[in-house]
Amino acid sequence: MDYILIILYAVSLVYFAVAERMSKFVVILSMQGFILFGVVFFSLNEIEIFDFVFILTETILVKAMLIPWFMNRVRKHNQLKRVHEPYIPVFYSIIIVILSLGASFLLSNNLQNAQLHTKFFTVALASVMFGIYFIVVHRNIFSHVVGYLIIENGIFLFSLAVGSQMPLMVNLAVLLDVVMGVLVLGIFINRIGDTFHSVEIKNLSELKD
Amino acid sequence: MSILSIILIIVAAVFFPGIIGMMKSLVVGRKMPSIFQPLFDVIRLFKKGSIYSTTTSFVFRLAPLVYFATVFASMLFLPIAGERGLLTFDNDLVFFAYMLALGKFFMIIAAMDTGSGFEGMGANREALYSMLVEPAFFITMGSLALFTGYTSFYDLFTSVQINTDFSYIIGISGVYVLIFIAMVENSRLPVDDPRTHLELTMVHEVMVLDYSGFDLGLIHITSWIKFSIYTTLISNFLLPVDWPLGFQIACFFLIQAVVAGVMGLLESFRARNKLDKNPQWILMLSAIAIVTFLATLIIAEKIVLN
Repeated sequence: MDYILIILYAVSLVYFAVAERMSKFVVILSMQGFILFGVVFFSLNEIEIFDFVFILTETILVKAMLIPWFMNRVRKHNQLKRVHEPYIPVFYSIIIVILSLGASFLLSNNLQNAQLHTKFFTVALASVMFGIYFIVVHRNIFSHVVGYLIIENGIFLFSLAVGSQMPLMVNLAVLLDVVMGVLVLGIFINRIGDTFHSVEIKNLSELKD
Repeated sequence: MSILSIILIIVAAVFFPGIIGMMKSLVVGRKMPSIFQPLFDVIRLFKKGSIYSTTTSFVFRLAPLVYFATVFASMLFLPIAGERGLLTFDNDLVFFAYMLALGKFFMIIAAMDTGSGFEGMGANREALYSMLVEPAFFITMGSLALFTGYTSFYDLFTSVQINTDFSYIIGISGVYVLIFIAMVENSRLPVDDPRTHLELTMVHEVMVLDYSGFDLGLIHITSWIKFSIYTTLISNFLLPVDWPLGFQIACFFLIQAVVAGVMGLLESFRARNKLDKNPQWILMLSAIAIVTFLATLIIAEKIVLN
């Protein structure tokens, strides 16, 4: 079952590359949250029950509902609809996401280590690589936050890959970072949107104190 | 019994466009045309003579025949309900794909042959889309071949067992990719709109603008059969071979009717893609096929994960 979810996660990365509407980004982010919930539910069963329940609630409440809900509010507030021409055409983005997926699958094939669950490692690495790429090719701040969240989902999968003890530690730290980061960035986007009537990053280079 | 698949595919092909037409008029609220209406249209075309432009050469006259012949020949490879196709040999799926490509190639050079700027443009687009959709087909079929260990359609479809977690991935994404390959190859929405009447935005329709009478009828029939071929691939994917023969044949027709109905519904409700979005949309099919292929590599234990 966890393999199906991992493949679904890979497909969601492909959809990120194809999507051109901001609302779709939010929907896919929420979908990834549910997929991560499934991954935790089916594969993390040798840890303590408190940790297990905590991680489950964290994934479903924060990753799948709270953050997408908040992002959606930010999107509506700034009336963001479409991505206006990313630096690189979508055509090449699809090729790049597939290359990164293929590369990370091959790499995991060569990593044989008893402490490492390579099945999570595959999509985790691809997710981090794609998240960074996503930030680089988009011009507006909202997409940058989305890319940041893709990286964060990848890091969560990394923490699953390295063993059953790590998730809680990593999660506690990452959870705080992410919630604060998204909240602060959300308010930041709203302020930028109110002041400049657009969320293009080129506005930021003209800031003066 | 191997003649069975040919008969079934042809019968399904005759009803296919009729069902799409009925579904479309049902959605719009018009009076439904007869299910045989497309057939009547083709019979009317067959009674007419053909007119050829003076700028065309023999290629233009040859192309519809080659198109029909190649599609008909590739139909012979398909098994139905566990019955062998008329022809079958190892790696016949490669032959099948390039047989279809040969027919398309002739249609493309025939469109160039007319010397019309519009037709050249349509041919250009058709070639691009076929080129992009080819990897999706081969990767899907390749994953299936890797999964089962066979390379001919008959062995492949008789030994594919969709019953474990993993094979659901292959089943679902295989059917998804095949449905959209069928849409692209047969110039339906969202890549091409068969109803459009503006030469600048047409893809397949503009290529056959110069054909009339018998030739046009032949092209229509060929595209029906082609549609039916792809739907047969989908139904082969879905139907287990150990069901009784009669039941499988009933299910085959049901799947054909459902695919045609869904296609009519989709075409009534969605708009076509912008032309410059088409390449990336088609490439996405290949991307999904590659993800399926990675999943198959895990199943076949070519990639070992723990």
